[in-house]
Amino acid sequence: MVYVKWVFWGTFWTVIFAFFHYTLPQHDVARITDTYEQRVDTTEAPIFWSRPETVTEGPGANRDVLFIQTFRTNERPMIYRNEDTGWGWPPYFKFDTSNLQAEAADLRSASATPQWVAVTHYGWRNEFLSIFPNAISVRAVDSPDVRIIPWFNIIILTAFAALTWGIWARWRKWRARRADPMVDDIL
Amino acid sequence: MAGLIRLIIIGGILLTIVYVALSFYSRAVRRGKLEADWNVQGRPGNMKDFVDNGLKEYEGSLRRKLILLVYVVPISVVGTIVYLTNYS
Repeated sequence: MVYVKWVFWGTFWTVIFAFFHYTLPQHDVARITDTYEQRVDTTEAPIFWSRPETVTEGPGANRDVLFIQTFRTNERPMIYRNEDTGWGWPPYFKFDTSNLQAEAADLRSASATPQWVAVTHYGWRNEFLSIFPNAISVRAVDSPDVRIIPWFNIIILTAFAALTWGIWARWRKWRARRADPMVDDIL
Repeated sequence: MAGLIRLIIIGGILLTIVYVALSFYSRAVRRGKLEADWNVQGRPGNMKDFVDNGLKEYEGSLRRKLILLVYVVPISVVGTIVYLTNYS
């Protein structure tokens, strides 16, 4: 029984962690080498692509997606997709995809004369699933060592921790007062 | 446009559930406090009249209207995110 409990809570917290890791914004420092548009089949892993209303997509259809290709400070490549999230999930309410593509194209630089940028994004890069994080914004930064404090994530995660603790404390109190005496009565 | 309509409908339903639940809860808390007050004040007259009067006062109170923040806060948050994502 104790293993069932471990597996259950292990799975539960892994899912919670993955959810936040995928959804919350993260900042990468990178230099943009190019921007491009590519036709992709989003039906392979549909939950990792947006479903904006500005493009029409029927079942089994493929469509054009904008991409931003970069090298991060560790000199490894990172490719971002650039898609509207629209009014759907995750709630970034992004509608300025074309503007972002223009800004990204404007900040391109070669490795000899790098222009570092902070890319705010959510999502995961996975080569096997061919999925890409979605870029939310880019802004130029002075150096690759810039320190970005994720205030938004700190607030959200603190609020989530407080909520979890509140539920847990009430659950424990309820168990001690009601459930355990009832079980003791029966046994 | 369909996405916005879907957000408004689903969000509206969820927030209305929260609003109604909070309203009932807040009213129940107020009723409990009024009943306790009635005892403390030396049981002036009929308890039902005392509580009904108190609840009528509560209907017009700021505390009652604060529950509308259930709608105001999420709409402001969405507005702020739309602005931050697209215009800054």
